[in-house]
Amino acid sequence: MGSFFRNWWRLLVTVALLVAAIQVFVRPSSTLERAEPVRAAGVVLFRPLYSAADFLRGGLSGVWNRYVALVGVSRENERLRKEVTELRESLHATRDAVLENRRLKELLSYSQTVERRTLGARVVGHDVSPWFRAIFLGTGSEAGIESGMSVITPYGAVGRIHKVHPGLSEVLLVTDGRFAADVMVERSRVRAIAEGVGGNFCRLKYVSPTQDVAVGDRIVFSGFDGSMPKGVLLGTVVSVDRPKESLFQKVKVQGAVNFQDAEEVMVILSRPSVPFRAVKD
Amino acid sequence: MKQFLVLFSLAFLGASLCVWWLSGFIPWFLLPDFPFLAVVYSGLFVPGVAGFLCALPPALFREITTSAPSWSMFLGSMALYFASREIGRRFLLRNEPSLLSAVVSLLAAESFSVVLLLSLSGARPFSILWGAQEAVRIAWTSLIAVPVFLDLSVRWRRVKE
Repeated sequence: MGSFFRNWWRLLVTVALLVAAIQVFVRPSSTLERAEPVRAAGVVLFRPLYSAADFLRGGLSGVWNRYVALVGVSRENERLRKEVTELRESLHATRDAVLENRRLKELLSYSQTVERRTLGARVVGHDVSPWFRAIFLGTGSEAGIESGMSVITPYGAVGRIHKVHPGLSEVLLVTDGRFAADVMVERSRVRAIAEGVGGNFCRLKYVSPTQDVAVGDRIVFSGFDGSMPKGVLLGTVVSVDRPKESLFQKVKVQGAVNFQDAEEVMVILSRPSVPFRAVKD
Repeated sequence: MKQFLVLFSLAFLGASLCVWWLSGFIPWFLLPDFPFLAVVYSGLFVPGVAGFLCALPPALFREITTSAPSWSMFLGSMALYFASREIGRRFLLRNEPSLLSAVVSLLAAESFSVVLLLSLSGARPFSILWGAQEAVRIAWTSLIAVPVFLDLSVRWRRVKE
């Protein structure tokens, strides 16, 4: 028996560590929080490097935006002027609807939700592992960032804060397989669960064949599960498949944000409110 | 100490290069996992407690730069270290094909385990395209591993002599 352990102890340790890793993977343990200072020390080691990368990227993109990208600016200016004129016209058309909406809100004593405090943060790196989709922000716990906070850009949702360190935060992208949230189709108000499927895509779960979802529909967060503020854009439907033998439609959504190109994001510091949830005393 | 510093630098600079410097420009499957290589090298070529100590920093770097649940990547990397030590002790011949097959099998085993775990937990972010990209990553990382490992082991032998 003794010789068996002497011969195979490495393999036994491998198995024990794998079991521990699986356990931590499936059910994260709070006792490991005591080891956080070790991780924080590791992050401190990396800080000069990602700060330098951020500084250089900022400088390079500044040079590009101020000089090189100005080549086609007059043509773009003309196009934008035209677009502004069109938008002004549509603004006039929607003003009546906005006023009506305001009156109705007042009538319903609609209470304004908690004012969103946001924090701008720069993207300093990406998770390059094949299994997970995440980005790193160069701002961490010192700025008040906490796990679970939403991260967005003006174009749409980016993800949720996953881990926070001093000077570094990790954002789980909406396209990561572990991300799921309550969403709705903007046009038809059909609700579903959005789940990341890698690449730049999500899928909608539990959409029955009778519900109205079409290619090109915009998908927004419903805000009901408290994971993201209501109305934030997730993406656009790129394919709808109605298999005869299935109970649900297969709906594929392309994310509104290109995560590879995102340089700055906004962290919503106030946690999303969850309407209709009972308050526990 | 020298080996510790060399492997520490390899893991630290490799991880920095991939995660902070190149990740926005180059697709993930073309970025080799340098901390992984450092862990495997410690297991295959650095004997005793020194090997264990050499594997700790790269395992920590993998933990920091991967968005897996807390400490799972660290524990997984240490399991990888002990597995590669076992391989180094029982099977490894110090030639290119055996090194290549050892690294490929370790990379494939790790990838398969994570995919299996994620699939069992209900997440399915994997497609045929992802499989092809992952195959490229495994091949690319293994091809880099062979010359790096041979060069480091030859140098280390010379230092000892």
